[in-house]
Amino acid sequence: MRDVCVIGTGMIPFGKYPDKTLAEIGWPAVKEAIVESGVPHNEIDAVYCGSALGGMLSGQRVMKALGLTGMPIINVENACSSSSSALAQAWTAVASGQHDIVLVVGVEKLTKFGGGTLPLEKEDWEVNQGMVMPALYAMRAQRYMYEYGLTARQLGEVSVKAHDHGALNPNAQIRKRVTIDEVMASRPVADPFTLWHCCPTGDGAAALVIASGDIARKHKSDPVRIAASEVTSGLYTNGYRDMTWAELTARGAKGAYDMAGIGPDDVDVAEIHDAFTIAELMYYEAFGFCERGHAYDLLSSGATSLGGDICVNPSGGLLSRGHPVGATGAAQAVEIVRQLEGRAGAHQVKDATVGIAHATGGGIAGLDHGVCSIHIFVR
Amino acid sequence: MTESGTLVANPDAANADERFVAPDLVARDPAGKPRLIGGRCRACAQLSFPRAAVCPGCFSEDIDAVYLAEEGTLYSYSVVHQAPKGWAVPYALGYVDLADEVRVLAHLDVPADKLAIAMTMRLGIGVVGADASGAPLLSYTFTSA
Repeated sequence: MRDVCVIGTGMIPFGKYPDKTLAEIGWPAVKEAIVESGVPHNEIDAVYCGSALGGMLSGQRVMKALGLTGMPIINVENACSSSSSALAQAWTAVASGQHDIVLVVGVEKLTKFGGGTLPLEKEDWEVNQGMVMPALYAMRAQRYMYEYGLTARQLGEVSVKAHDHGALNPNAQIRKRVTIDEVMASRPVADPFTLWHCCPTGDGAAALVIASGDIARKHKSDPVRIAASEVTSGLYTNGYRDMTWAELTARGAKGAYDMAGIGPDDVDVAEIHDAFTIAELMYYEAFGFCERGHAYDLLSSGATSLGGDICVNPSGGLLSRGHPVGATGAAQAVEIVRQLEGRAGAHQVKDATVGIAHATGGGIAGLDHGVCSIHIFVR
Repeated sequence: MTESGTLVANPDAANADERFVAPDLVARDPAGKPRLIGGRCRACAQLSFPRAAVCPGCFSEDIDAVYLAEEGTLYSYSVVHQAPKGWAVPYALGYVDLADEVRVLAHLDVPADKLAIAMTMRLGIGVVGADASGAPLLSYTFTSA
């Protein structure tokens, strides 16, 4: 396998763009990534587009706006991991030698659904019985609170941290700090979650140009390398399951660490899938940033805040930057690359050289989650 | 009383007269008690809920419809305040661990302040929402035992 590096990044500020088409949301991110890469347009060998709910031919709709067509354009649907799965496919294509320069784009327009919880697949028997994503995570939270004595107020501090970070990020959907009292007093969604425990719905797009190491180094002196690219799916059971342990993410993390030849102590910055407050805490444990049951201690120590040893979600994460489902994985990757290149601006993590992007999700009965995709970046 | 694991005589005609969210998941047994209908593989005895068409343990397609346990333990729950149209919000959802080691997502017919993890639950039938015409929709529910 060949080295694979990132040579261009682009993203639009996440938010609500009900009057724009999916293509209008997507092309500015693609244009920015290509211009930043310096790659001539006709040298892009393939496009992988991640979108969960964008509909047929999302990638072609975006690319034709820029007049870039003719190459293979592959559309990838994998719920919350759509564009991170697209990145994994792109990585494989470059690492294997099939392609030299590949564009990855994640694009989503959730405002077309008019708000509310994410529309899920009604063929799923749990969805048919009233399951919604906040309820699934809320049940994890309730059980975690039961087993480890975490309080709802402690859980709410995840949201306070996320918004402290997001307030510094011009690409964040919610650029507003919240206090723990505001978190607790906002309207209930699914107990113990109030509104501020939940990521907002919205629209967004992000893109990356990746290339083989030798080509990348012709365009950049010290490009960020993708040291691990991992996609896994949840394990099916209709029996009992420990909902306080993110088995899927833990399995993916081990695979990614092994591939990169690093461990949790080496990580400087991570963008992890905090769709709801409990998720961030559970993933601290799954990534080995702390022992099981000790995630709140890690949060309250400040270690995962800007200035801490292992900054988690400096962008504001899903809770603050936003979560236009299929665009999230690419946005996380863009964030980590810019962090490692030292150009993240007001929310820069100092001297970061190793970063993780983690997108997991997809509510599906019998599985922890549908999918988990993890990338490790090194500079 | 009908033992859990007992074969369901005619699972396809179980709920002809009532409006159920998922009529294939619940039926009344010969004694008139609500029961969840699961599947049991004839080849390897693995239980499924909902009743599987193909056994995820051994690929057999010979899956009997069987009654599942009527009681279980509440693994976790949440009171849902925001949901798609049709559901009567707020409603309590929970995972109930049945004695036969199947975990079932269910509406919980228990006041919010009485819900507690590890409480013993018993199967029932209740109204959980309404269809497009406003007619009540039924489903299996769990109440405190």
